[in-house]
Amino acid sequence: MTEPNATPSHRAKDAGAKIIRYQGVVKRYGNFQALNGASLDVHAGEVVCLIGPSGSGKSTLLRCTNGLESVEGGDIEFEGARLPRDERALRGVRRRMGMVFQSFELFPHLTALANVAEGPRTVLRMRRLEAERRALAMLDKVGLSDKVSSYPSALSGGQQQRVAIARALAMEPDVMLFDEPTSALDPETVGEVLNVMKKLADEGMTMVVVTHEMSFARHVGDWIAVFDAGRVVEQGPPTQIFDAPTTERTRDFLSHLGWTG
Amino acid sequence: MTFDWSVVWQHRDALLAGTATTVLLTVMTMVIAVPCGMAVAALRLYARAPVRAVATAYVELFRNLPLILVVYWAFYVLPITTGLGLSPLATGLAALALNVTAYNAETFRAGINSIRKGQIEAATALGMSRPQALRRVVIPQALRRVLPILASTWVSLFKDTSLVSVIAVSELAYVSMQIRSQTFRVLEMLTAMAAIYWLLGYPQAKLVDWIQRRFVVTE
Amino acid sequence: MEFDFSVITDHARFLASGVGVTLALAGLSGICSLTLGFAVALLRLYGPAWLRPIAVLYIDSMRAIPVLVVLVWTFFALPIVSGITMPPFIAALIGLTLHLAAYAAEIVRAGVESVRAGQTRAALALGMSRVQLVRRILLPQAIVRMLPAFGSLLSITIKDTAIASVIAVTELMRQSETVAGQSFQPIEVFTFAMLVYFGLLFPVTRGVDLIYRRVAHLGRS
Repeated sequence: MTEPNATPSHRAKDAGAKIIRYQGVVKRYGNFQALNGASLDVHAGEVVCLIGPSGSGKSTLLRCTNGLESVEGGDIEFEGARLPRDERALRGVRRRMGMVFQSFELFPHLTALANVAEGPRTVLRMRRLEAERRALAMLDKVGLSDKVSSYPSALSGGQQQRVAIARALAMEPDVMLFDEPTSALDPETVGEVLNVMKKLADEGMTMVVVTHEMSFARHVGDWIAVFDAGRVVEQGPPTQIFDAPTTERTRDFLSHLGWTG
Repeated sequence: MTFDWSVVWQHRDALLAGTATTVLLTVMTMVIAVPCGMAVAALRLYARAPVRAVATAYVELFRNLPLILVVYWAFYVLPITTGLGLSPLATGLAALALNVTAYNAETFRAGINSIRKGQIEAATALGMSRPQALRRVVIPQALRRVLPILASTWVSLFKDTSLVSVIAVSELAYVSMQIRSQTFRVLEMLTAMAAIYWLLGYPQAKLVDWIQRRFVVTE
Repeated sequence: MEFDFSVITDHARFLASGVGVTLALAGLSGICSLTLGFAVALLRLYGPAWLRPIAVLYIDSMRAIPVLVVLVWTFFALPIVSGITMPPFIAALIGLTLHLAAYAAEIVRAGVESVRAGQTRAALALGMSRVQLVRRILLPQAIVRMLPAFGSLLSITIKDTAIASVIAVTELMRQSETVAGQSFQPIEVFTFAMLVYFGLLFPVTRGVDLIYRRVAHLGRS
């Protein structure tokens, strides 16, 4: 593990450009207020971790980021421009974002290689050989070169999730969105996925991660946002959130998790 | 009471021709009903509300009517409404196709709906358009689930072709019963008819079992 | 094109008697085939080993032979071999029962087999006998799972009664044919028949859906 980030409790002035800006995002499901004015910035090269109790809106915000869900109020800006409403324009945005799901969602009828090559082939219109070459490189990056011809049903959860990460990376996105990537994994395989994510972070990938893995957030995260009831109740560097939280809600949440540092 | 089983052998040509017609009807009905079923399913899933309602009404109607009634109704109504003088074979085919298309539409619709929402989300997150997501992710998976049901529908259809005998289409049942009337060999001909259907149908039923085992879907 | 639906009202009682026969035939074959089907399924699952291939042969044969053929054979050929003559209704009842019981047997078997093996282990571990296991644990859960398939079988039963028209059973299809033939107004008569059948079948399918949704949780283990 690297040294914990030594940033002060305000962001450094030379932090990278704002990749994503969430401003007062509002979202309802029927009677349930999932997001109630969530605001947050994500800078280039940062690993932003969203933590908080279930139902607090973290995953919802993530799914609004690439337009899988629509927002009812507030703004989301990506690379300086408001998220479009038009489906075709949204597709263009999605190509620049990679998403990793809690349930992996590999395509079961395709091998690992074909899964990773699918995005470049179908969406980027790359030729099959080129796409497969890129896919091989990505699978190598996540440590699964020996599983290229395996079908998802033959892979462990951790392996499937790593293939899913490779699939998202194959699109060469500007930002990676992780929706509780390790929540559905056996404890033994959680580590292999977190290691891949850490590697990505070290390489400077901008990442937004919804997670319950506090160790990961503490040691790999650059900026933590604590969610509760659809809003960000506290945000700051890990040293602040985990060692010296400033709000009651954060303290409650961490103590419920049994977080003792 | 004497039984003369040779009458079956004597009329083997007619019985063979009848069997061929039965097979022909089955094949041609499926050739029509599979693409049409897909089209109706697509309408039910993706078209605008009024079109969806019509497609649903069509499916619900034909799933809730006895096929033999549809055969009779087609026989009397089609010539009048279409102005064409359709042969009994064509009429029978039309009735069968209308019926099986409705069942297939339901099969395809259920197959597509059974694909997890997460799969479509993963495809969308990669930047695929809806047609791309359907083509590359949903349909290949749906096909595996749909195949055993289509096989089962095929076997049912094979048996249902016997119903067009009521409008004098010369498939196996009609031919057998004609020979019975001509030769008065009731037991022999009816037993032969049952035996021929059994010989044809039993392997098909076993094949369907095999297909269902082979294509069992584990989540 | 003109339609004159007075032909329906003129023959209302005649057609209504057809509906009555349809319902009677469907109801009776339903009950008989359910009983026979259960018996065959239980024999197949728990009966002596030599009986099982016979049960399987019976079930698979009924999957291979059309209902029309079974009905026609039962009415015309069975009297010849057995020496017993029977009225069309009885022949239809026997034929439909034999045919549908095979499907019922398959539904029962699939339902019982779909109950998780863990349930059997748990029951036996408590010290239950096999009979108690089947009666108190397996069948109650299995029956809930079988409901949608039985609903569908009921729908098929009603539709198959129409085929009995071929052996002159005076159910609705037959009565409609008669009226259509006499009045030369087949369109009106058969359209009416379609409405009646739809009116009978649509609620059955929908009703089964609703009931199943209510009780589904009882069968989930």
